[in-house]
Amino acid sequence: MKDKHNDIWIGVQDKANDPALEEISSKEFFELPIVDALSDDKFVENTSTNRRDFLKYLGFGLGAATIAAGCEIPVKKAIPYVVKPEEIVPGVATYYASSFVNGGDYCSILVKTREGRPIKIEGNPSSKITKGGTSARVQASVLSLYNTSRFKGPGKISGEKRTWSDLTSWEDLDKEIKGKLNSNSTIRIITNTVLSPTTKKVFAEFAAKYPNTKVISYDPISSAAILLANQENFGDKVIPNYHFDKADMVVTFGADFLGTWISPIEYAADWVKTRKIKDVKHAHMSRLIAVENGMSLTGSNADNRILIKPSEQGAAIVTLYNEIATLKGGETIGENDVNAKADAALKLAAAELVAASGKSLVVSNSNDKNVQIIVNKINDLLGSYGSTITFDSASLQRQGVESDMQGLITEMKGGGVDMAIVYGANPAYDLPNATDFSSAFAQVATKVSFAGVIDETTTLCDYVAPNNHFLESWGDAEAKRGQYSLIQPTINKLYNTRQAELSLLSWSDSANVNLKAEQPYLDYLSNAWKNDMFAKQTSYVSFPAFWDSALHDGVFHVANESTATAFAGDIQAAGGKIKGAGSSELEINFYETVNIGAGNYADNPWLLEMPDPIMRTVWGNYLGVHITFDGDNNYTTFKDLGQDQKGNTYFAKITSGSNEATIPSVSVFGQMNNTVSAGLGFGRSTVSEAGKEVGANLFPMCTTNEDGLTQYWAAVDVEKAGKDKEFACVQYFNTMGVTGEVDGEKLNVDERILGHRGFQGSLTERSIIYNANVKEIKGLVEKIEEKREFADHLNTKTLYPGHEDKYAMGHHWAMHIDLNACTGCAACTVACMAENNVPVVGKREVFRHHEMTWLRIDRYYYGDVNNPNVVYQPMMCQHCDNAPCENVCPVAATNHSSEGLNQMTYNRCIGTRYCANNCPYKVRRFNWYDYTTADLWPANQYSINGEDLPFGADNLTRMVLNPDVTVRSRGVIEKCSFCVQRIQEGKLLAKSEGRKLKDSDVKTACQTACPTGAIIFGDKNGHGKLHEALESPLNYLVLEEVNTAPSVNYSAKINNRNDKMDA
Amino acid sequence: MSAVVSPIREPLVNGGKTYHQITEDICSPTERAPSPMWIAAFIVAVACLGFGVASILWTIWQGIGTWDLNRTIGWGWDITNFVWWVGIGHAGTLISAILLLFRQKWRTGVNRAAEAMTIFAVICAALFPGIHMGRIWLAFFIFPYPNTRGPLWVNFNSPLLWDVFAISTYFTVSLLFWYTGLVPDFATVRDRAKGFRKKVYNFLSFGWTGKAKHWQRWEALSLILAGLATPLVLSVHTIVSFDFATSVIPGWHTTIFPPYFVAGAIFSGFAMVQTLMLITRKVLKLEDYITVAHIESMNKVILLTGTIVGVAYLTELFIAWYSGYVYEQFAFYNRAMGIYWWSYVGMMACNVLSPQIFWFKKARRSIFVTFFMSIFVNIGMWFERFVIIATTLARDYLPSSWSYYTPTWVEIGIYVGTLGIFFTLYLIFVRVAPVVAIAEIKSILKSAGDQYTGPNAQKHHEENKH
Repeated sequence: MKDKHNDIWIGVQDKANDPALEEISSKEFFELPIVDALSDDKFVENTSTNRRDFLKYLGFGLGAATIAAGCEIPVKKAIPYVVKPEEIVPGVATYYASSFVNGGDYCSILVKTREGRPIKIEGNPSSKITKGGTSARVQASVLSLYNTSRFKGPGKISGEKRTWSDLTSWEDLDKEIKGKLNSNSTIRIITNTVLSPTTKKVFAEFAAKYPNTKVISYDPISSAAILLANQENFGDKVIPNYHFDKADMVVTFGADFLGTWISPIEYAADWVKTRKIKDVKHAHMSRLIAVENGMSLTGSNADNRILIKPSEQGAAIVTLYNEIATLKGGETIGENDVNAKADAALKLAAAELVAASGKSLVVSNSNDKNVQIIVNKINDLLGSYGSTITFDSASLQRQGVESDMQGLITEMKGGGVDMAIVYGANPAYDLPNATDFSSAFAQVATKVSFAGVIDETTTLCDYVAPNNHFLESWGDAEAKRGQYSLIQPTINKLYNTRQAELSLLSWSDSANVNLKAEQPYLDYLSNAWKNDMFAKQTSYVSFPAFWDSALHDGVFHVANESTATAFAGDIQAAGGKIKGAGSSELEINFYETVNIGAGNYADNPWLLEMPDPIMRTVWGNYLGVHITFDGDNNYTTFKDLGQDQKGNTYFAKITSGSNEATIPSVSVFGQMNNTVSAGLGFGRSTVSEAGKEVGANLFPMCTTNEDGLTQYWAAVDVEKAGKDKEFACVQYFNTMGVTGEVDGEKLNVDERILGHRGFQGSLTERSIIYNANVKEIKGLVEKIEEKREFADHLNTKTLYPGHEDKYAMGHHWAMHIDLNACTGCAACTVACMAENNVPVVGKREVFRHHEMTWLRIDRYYYGDVNNPNVVYQPMMCQHCDNAPCENVCPVAATNHSSEGLNQMTYNRCIGTRYCANNCPYKVRRFNWYDYTTADLWPANQYSINGEDLPFGADNLTRMVLNPDVTVRSRGVIEKCSFCVQRIQEGKLLAKSEGRKLKDSDVKTACQTACPTGAIIFGDKNGHGKLHEALESPLNYLVLEEVNTAPSVNYSAKINNRNDKMDA
Repeated sequence: MSAVVSPIREPLVNGGKTYHQITEDICSPTERAPSPMWIAAFIVAVACLGFGVASILWTIWQGIGTWDLNRTIGWGWDITNFVWWVGIGHAGTLISAILLLFRQKWRTGVNRAAEAMTIFAVICAALFPGIHMGRIWLAFFIFPYPNTRGPLWVNFNSPLLWDVFAISTYFTVSLLFWYTGLVPDFATVRDRAKGFRKKVYNFLSFGWTGKAKHWQRWEALSLILAGLATPLVLSVHTIVSFDFATSVIPGWHTTIFPPYFVAGAIFSGFAMVQTLMLITRKVLKLEDYITVAHIESMNKVILLTGTIVGVAYLTELFIAWYSGYVYEQFAFYNRAMGIYWWSYVGMMACNVLSPQIFWFKKARRSIFVTFFMSIFVNIGMWFERFVIIATTLARDYLPSSWSYYTPTWVEIGIYVGTLGIFFTLYLIFVRVAPVVAIAEIKSILKSAGDQYTGPNAQKHHEENKH
């Protein structure tokens, strides 16, 4: 055959002039052997199948098919678009910039939508405030959109039994409400902090129409004292702009700025900048001292903690002030006694603060104006103003003053209020005198609520004009002066709700809004921005361009100059009013929990199931009690309360005056003796399904001081009240080697306490956590080096020879976690639940250790037994290259990818749980029940909290599911996949752009959620940020000597503890 | 099989039995109407079985969540029971195979029941790997069958897969061995039976006529099966021990496991044989065939294997200390001193200390002591598996994940259910098959009957003279 010298040829046969091909191509009709055979009559006659057989086969086939088809297969509806929206490509996520706002809680966000459904919240890196970070609350907010208990439309509540009746339309509601209003009506709008300038404008319009209108704003966890003190000292009633990143020395009196205080996402990111070790040879880090009684998230991250009773806080601040004043040569004020240990420690702290003048910062959560004045003076003496505290871009995230509410209660009692409008507040629950409020509220003629879901205050109202969820709304927010952000809807309204602002505009007959327009509030908002914001910038010449850019970025920043004056205030007068320590035997402090805030997140199952960072408990509030080493061979706990190691704990009955509450107790290291701590926000009585009967309400035990400000502590009695046999706690074992003194000799307490009474984890030096003081960092580096060398020596053998070469090619996914940057806030935990469709299992199942979280944060105490330090360790599948789980699976359901991922094949899994047993990190999760309602039969679906429908069974709740991640059925193992769907997405993106994959193309959900950048994910073989992070000599692998070859690197925990400070 | 027998050897058949008497004694229980005691026992056994079946169905219907296992402790009573039952299933084959090869004649008195026990125990054991799966309806995935998924094969690296092969092989060989032995005895029963029973036993005895050729082939087959079964006695529990030994969990990852498990299995198997035989010989009046000499022989095996197990426990402790490996040291410290200390104490007391009583001949020959000891050993061996499985998992590497485990009623129900299955099958067995191998007893009568050997032989001899 010679080559056909032809330019056009099809296939090699054609090019090679194959005669067979030529023959075929010369024929007019293409022939197939089967066609020949079938067209041959003889062939048909010769076959053994005759007509009767054919009918038999047909009959059998039909019958079999009928029987098979008769088995009922559940109908799952998937409705395609009839007309596909232009901007939606099925399977491709669309992100919209928006803002998360709940009272004063704020975060600039990107909302991930798939096929028109918001399914995940990401941080917005363009924001100057949150810088792309998020919190657990922000992450979970998308689930609240799909809360089945939301109001479905406007309604009326009436009668003794507060029965609900639907109103047919918004026009009816408007008519009824307007009928009750006249220009003389006394109207009070009750709100928490309102961040939106446009909403405030709406309030103003309403007030213009009804001149007797007043907006009363308060915050359930109040910072009013700071506002009032700043007004007095600086002439500006505002929370200043704290710069934790500029402080070398921070002392916090109870302010949990890493967890809950004012703007934790922002503060955590700033503070962690001063804590990351960039160069071990010249390691430098700031010091944080927490003065508190119970272990807060901030306290757990602090280098030193000074223990004081809640009532001693004022005295402690005065003590610190006097010491600083002495050192700086200022006037001292009357001495206030604080416990001796704290006194000595505070004096040391004062010296350190003074030494770091200009680079130091003192903050306090005290809600006593006089105390905050002293704090201001301390900062003034230390030269903090202008450096670590400024008034430009001051924070607006707390604006409420609850004494106004106390005034309102008096006013309402007198019957002087015609209408009360509740906008995003729940005073019938979260005021210390909520019962007073409720009875006074009943005197108001007409009460209107804008609540989107049922709450305690709404049941007392006459009309409900349900507001949209923020993901369905237009809006804006000004969290800090000059730092604006927009809120845009990411889904059409799910129910017949209406934006609260529109309701107000409608009732005020505003001329500035056309309610008949398609999106009336968008028009109103953009008009407001046109008038107010557009002029503040120069980059855009036309408003539409400016608007589009602001909407695209989600944020709009303008410079803001401070108007505050220099410090001026009478500290002697303030000091004289500060009360000394109380004489009561036992004091409790009430704190805001990281997850459910003041109760406004108490119906979110993701947050309820998020373990408390310190107590590691879920679904309720728990009483933190003191635990200490008895100096002999046992631990003792306060009144023998606290948990044992078999999953039991004791209930504690708390009595404060006439108020009583019974909650389970947890022994917490670092809890001051003769004090206890408990979280607020639980025990909601009227709340949507998930939040019912979770914990106990402790707001009634808070008190109000003479200025009308809420005090979050009380003198109480606590007694043991029976065993809690469903103690839902994910971690019983607490320590990583706490030390105590016996006969003047320092020793490992757990070693001393033999047997099962102690926390045996620290009996051995486990290669799980490496930590050191920053001064001893050199020794730590050597130790890690030595340990790793030894492990290398042990690990010369592998089960899979030759695989290293394979992993060296292409991608090899890995992660780096900086334990120094992790504050334990658990944003990653909730982000992981959202991203990976991790089921919620409820309190009883968590008690049984059936929690499904793929990513958990282990918390270990170390150091002094009475006042230990804490290290948090995010723990997820380590994607071991010698994975012990893989070789034990009998059906090869878990296996290794060529890119170093440990993959889980759910379809193949038969659920022997051998892999989970053999996992040294215990990160594999088994579907014990049908948590996701994926089974064919519904009889065994697991419902939490006594709900009718199991969590996630409802079609509405299921809208939050990530369509890229399989929903697992019962009986299979699941675990962290390194967000393999995101890896795939990144690869596709790179491929479609015709370039190599970069590290930044793939970011795991935990990584993007983290406010402090503690988690870095990437390609070990690449040259991105991960590669850099992997060079640190502080890196280690957990349990390296087991030779699992994990892909997650941890960087050792370094603290900056001052060992001389003993308190 | 007459051979020269030392006159000081104890006779293995008492009562000066003739061949006919043997046939009568052993066949009669299958021919009588069941005694009230049997009926009562049967009702209890079936009730337990029913409860077990209900518990299993509940597990399958609801999910493994009905058990109290958790994220840390993935195996509990399920695998403990599995290993326990497999262990019990070791005595039968040991007696029939190894003792056959070693020409231990005393095995003939107990081998039939022991083999039956083996099969029933393996049935109980085999249940657990099935029902402990999260998705039992996909259990067929563990078989390497041709399929259209790639084809997707099983993971030959996994000890669980080795278990599947080991146990199914063991079960098959044991069943063949047992049935082969039963064939001539079924023929004996058939020859005495009438009507429908005759037809059934005729079928079961495969047309056995007792021809010399039959006997020759039967002997040959027994020998071959014994040869096949002997390595299995060692391999099955070795492989079961690999479930733990090949893992990376401290306390499981131990090279001593294979011999230690085999010894423990024989130990518990013999204990179970003792428990059953002591009752059976009394109820069925077989004291002449299952004599105190038999019991003593088995007690000697128990003493030996119990001591091996004890040495293994101590070796583990020594190696944990000697290894210098902190996790291993902690694992063993935790076993003895941790939260499950009571199960370790139970294991040590029942398995190591209490069998030492068998150093005394009086104790070895005491029915009372033997019975209680056999129960102790079975409890102890259950504890051993619980210690190895649950205690180890409860406290492994990361203290954050440590937890505690107690069974639910469902798990207890399944365990009770397997006891029900076991005893139901055993009770049926004693009603339908000769509990003692007739043919084999007859084969040793001339060399081990008390009229031929031992102190009675002389008397017997003199009587014959007259």
